[in-house]
Amino acid sequence: MKISVRRMFGALAGAMLLGASALASAEPLKIGYSDWPGWVAWEVAIEKQWFKEAGVEVKFEWFDYVASMDAFAAGQLDAVTMTNGDALVTGATGAKSVMIIINDYSNGNDMIVGAPGVESIADLKGRKVGVEIGFVDHLLLLNGLAKAGLTEADVELVNVPTNETPQVLASGDVAAIGAWQPNSGMALKLVAGSSPIYTSADEPGLIYDVLAVSPESLSARRDEWRKVVDVWYRVVDYILDPETHADAVRIMASRVGVSPAEYESFINGTRILTLDEAKQFFVKGEGFGSLYGSSKIVDEFNLANDVYKDAQDVDAYIDGSLTNAR
Amino acid sequence: MTSQPWFAARRELAPNRRLTLAIMSFVLPLLVWCLVSYVPFIWHPMVEVSDPGAVSYFKPGMLVEREVFDREREKVRGEGAALPAGEPANPVYLPAPHQVARAMFTAFTTEPQRRNEKWLHESLGDSITVIALGFLISSLIGVPLGILAGTYDAVSRLNEPFIEFFRYLPAPAFGALAVAVLGIHEAPKIAIIFIGTFFQQVLVVSNTTRKIDPSLLEAAMTLGAKRLNLLFRVVIPGIITDLYKDLRILLGWAWTYLIVAEMIGTSSGITWFITQQARYKNFENVYAAIIMIGIIGLSTDLVLAWLGRRIFPWQRASAA
Repeated sequence: MKISVRRMFGALAGAMLLGASALASAEPLKIGYSDWPGWVAWEVAIEKQWFKEAGVEVKFEWFDYVASMDAFAAGQLDAVTMTNGDALVTGATGAKSVMIIINDYSNGNDMIVGAPGVESIADLKGRKVGVEIGFVDHLLLLNGLAKAGLTEADVELVNVPTNETPQVLASGDVAAIGAWQPNSGMALKLVAGSSPIYTSADEPGLIYDVLAVSPESLSARRDEWRKVVDVWYRVVDYILDPETHADAVRIMASRVGVSPAEYESFINGTRILTLDEAKQFFVKGEGFGSLYGSSKIVDEFNLANDVYKDAQDVDAYIDGSLTNAR
Repeated sequence: MTSQPWFAARRELAPNRRLTLAIMSFVLPLLVWCLVSYVPFIWHPMVEVSDPGAVSYFKPGMLVEREVFDREREKVRGEGAALPAGEPANPVYLPAPHQVARAMFTAFTTEPQRRNEKWLHESLGDSITVIALGFLISSLIGVPLGILAGTYDAVSRLNEPFIEFFRYLPAPAFGALAVAVLGIHEAPKIAIIFIGTFFQQVLVVSNTTRKIDPSLLEAAMTLGAKRLNLLFRVVIPGIITDLYKDLRILLGWAWTYLIVAEMIGTSSGITWFITQQARYKNFENVYAAIIMIGIIGLSTDLVLAWLGRRIFPWQRASAA
């Protein structure tokens, strides 16, 4: 039996390989992307066929966020959109990547949402907080706690998948949850009287959203990636230009299936970076004002929380040269 | 006929009564749903704010629990400020039947807004293709293997212990593995349907094969039937109607793996629609999609049952 299963897999895989090798000469760059405004923005370039104009073949694959990182880790993608922190996590567990574009930093979309009556982070002392442990909003929570003079030991963490946080807050079992949009917004909508008590706007640069490319692909096809960077800044201009902003929002909203008006609020919590801003964050430095500094802080957080065992060489994960060359 | 009792043990009701009850089995749940949705006194634990009044965080259209609404109204009343107003409503996860019906219609008639986006019927088509291919590959191997295992003890001993072991392994556990081996598109999804169906299929088919009347085999052997003849002229014709019924049930089984399978790799098919709409709490669309799956499943089964009666007319008397 074992043999026939394997044979079937073999046959399927063989057929795919045959198909793949036939296309190998013109294999497009494969990029996995998912539901976050800074990445949904790529949809503008796809819809407008700007990659074709730029002379680079790119195939974007739409994923659930976690599934996209899994597919990248399995070697099925040339690049994936993720946060700088998740790039380190994915790298520590096997699939190294290099961040070549900083799309945005989260500017309010990531939130700690307090139940009714919970007015500030300090109110959380001794109470339960629902958050997906090891993910970016866990980091956001710790950052907020530290500012309130508290530590993780002062609260009781409940591990909740991010997309279930609205229901968990509604259940009344926790005093707060940590989540990003659209989940954080849904929690606010679902639980009347709840409010954001700490958001990524309180610590800009805590969470950067990037395009992370496999080192092999970057080294072999650097010219094509250069063109991808060019297209990205065409997208940024299109979104930031008041003339074309509405059209960009329409395209982005249709990707995730909500109305443009609703989507506008998610974009507002996402600081899409201009070329000049992005260049600043590619400069080596300490603290949240630099991708290097921010990633270093995330690395320490990941180590402290046993997300992985060995400190990551943060510098090896960052290559600003394509952005800086523009 | 008129005196026939409604409840008689193991006695079939008259056809018109059977049909009435079959229709009622759909109408009753729908009726309950309508009652809960449209009659405000039955449940309606929420209030849909129509006028926020002086409550700072209320917004028109917002759903608030009734206690919260009352508490805020009393607070505002105490301050002598403008009172909020609202209608009794059900929670966001229980849309009314007409909302779901409308969602079902608009989901199909909404034109894709982007170049590479699909119509809903195309997404459904993708899902059906995944199911059909997974089930077909599974059946191509599973049915012959099951028949052989049910007929020859040697085949059974060689395969079934391992299959018994493997069928306990949950198909979703192979998700990441399937992506690593088969890529990100349809192939890993088909593989999950296969893994979810195949192992049960072999066991069910072999079990059915074993139930063939032994006197049939003995009679055939007395008449001089040899191995292949026995298999193709006696065993297979002997089980074919039961086998057909098994496959109908197993096809339903394959459908239950669809959502799990489509979570793997790229977002596609009807699952993408469901998860995406659920994420934005558009539950009427979620219900509509779930009902679509039910309708497709049930109508496929009805068609297969009808086809079965054509192909195997001798079974008509006892056909289920």
